[in-house]
Amino acid sequence: MVVNRVLLGVVGVLLLGAGVLVLAGGLDLYRRLGAHPPHWWPLTSPDQPVVSARSRGRWVDSAWWWPTVIGGLAVLVVGMAWWLVAQLRRTGLSSIAVPTPGVSGLRLRVSARALEEAMETGTAVLPEVERAGVRLVRAPGHPRLRGAVRLTPGGDPAALVEHFEDGPRTDACRSLGLPELPADLRIRVLQAAPAEPRRRWRRRRRRQSRVL
Amino acid sequence: MSAEAGAAPDGGAAAPGTEELGKVRRPRAPRTAAAALVATVVLVVAGALLYDVIEVRAGRPARRWRAQIADELATRHLDDLWVLVGAGAATLLGGWLLWLAIAPGLRRWLVLRPYGGTTAAVDRAGIGHLLRDRAAGLAGIDHLRIRVGRRRVRVALVGPADPASVQRQLREELDRVGAARPLRLDVRTAGGRRAGRGARTEPADGTESGTGTESGTGVAE
Repeated sequence: MVVNRVLLGVVGVLLLGAGVLVLAGGLDLYRRLGAHPPHWWPLTSPDQPVVSARSRGRWVDSAWWWPTVIGGLAVLVVGMAWWLVAQLRRTGLSSIAVPTPGVSGLRLRVSARALEEAMETGTAVLPEVERAGVRLVRAPGHPRLRGAVRLTPGGDPAALVEHFEDGPRTDACRSLGLPELPADLRIRVLQAAPAEPRRRWRRRRRRQSRVL
Repeated sequence: MSAEAGAAPDGGAAAPGTEELGKVRRPRAPRTAAAALVATVVLVVAGALLYDVIEVRAGRPARRWRAQIADELATRHLDDLWVLVGAGAATLLGGWLLWLAIAPGLRRWLVLRPYGGTTAAVDRAGIGHLLRDRAAGLAGIDHLRIRVGRRRVRVALVGPADPASVQRQLREELDRVGAARPLRLDVRTAGGRRAGRGARTEPADGTESGTGTESGTGVAE
């Protein structure tokens, strides 16, 4: 999600900027490096408090100060609540719209669960597939299929992609009449003989270090 | 989408490798957990501050935590240890959040060449499993350590097998996986790398791999 990245970046830049500003002032970097910051630059001397009395009292007496603070905080609280809710919301879809060419006044939607189950059974019977799970997720522009597939040891990921594309995905697109239904697969491959060689290696290294 | 597909062959005629690379977009992590965490923290802090500010405006005294923080900020100077520690922590945290915002993430997954409307990524550990299973069928390998990076695969082997033939076999297996950006493959014998130390402490291993290389080629092929 682009929003997440932008907001994380904004929070990060604010924290980074404040931290660097205080560090530069506290370690007296301006004098040591011979830099002359402009006169309005804050926090230049290590002898100065973090929030000086002058900056504390600068706006407090203005009539607009407290309404602005309260308004700003309220906007921040509402915005953060929206952001949090956006994270907790499920990425899944409940149904997908199916085109009905030639028929006016009819809108057809297919349950996402039905599509997902059909895709899952279609993927699970492909060669070398040990387990398959498919979800329909919302994405910018068009819903996408997201599949997680586990292959048996020695399975061929490239062949699986071809089988998936030519089999279940093409079938789904054709039977639903969808012009496009892009898919992302996450493929894992199991190991035939796990753990045994690693243990031997560790023993060998230990023996070696004892010799040394 | 169609415009991109139409424009791609023009640029791709000169350099087919870059054309393939340009078409495959690396997936980017949604950063849901980090976003939820930051949102919660900011929400709690801003909410508490808002509540207290409104209470003070309504005529009640400020809570002790707010008075204390305001007092500390007003009295502690910039070269105070705690101020510096806090600033350092803020700098590190800010840098980390910025990194989370910029870096694509999903380092576990390697993108495969797309086929039709299907894009796929394979687990890096899964590639390691494939290589290990392929190497298990080869003769002359006592031990094998495989590390799959995002750009190259490093294989260290112990045994009389010929590294070149092992490399050929593993290269074949890697090409079968079909990563969008081809992985480099380094195969080296662990004995060769630690020749100086290994010769003294383990003379048996050293002579074995030394004499075994000639016979190893015959065994492996």
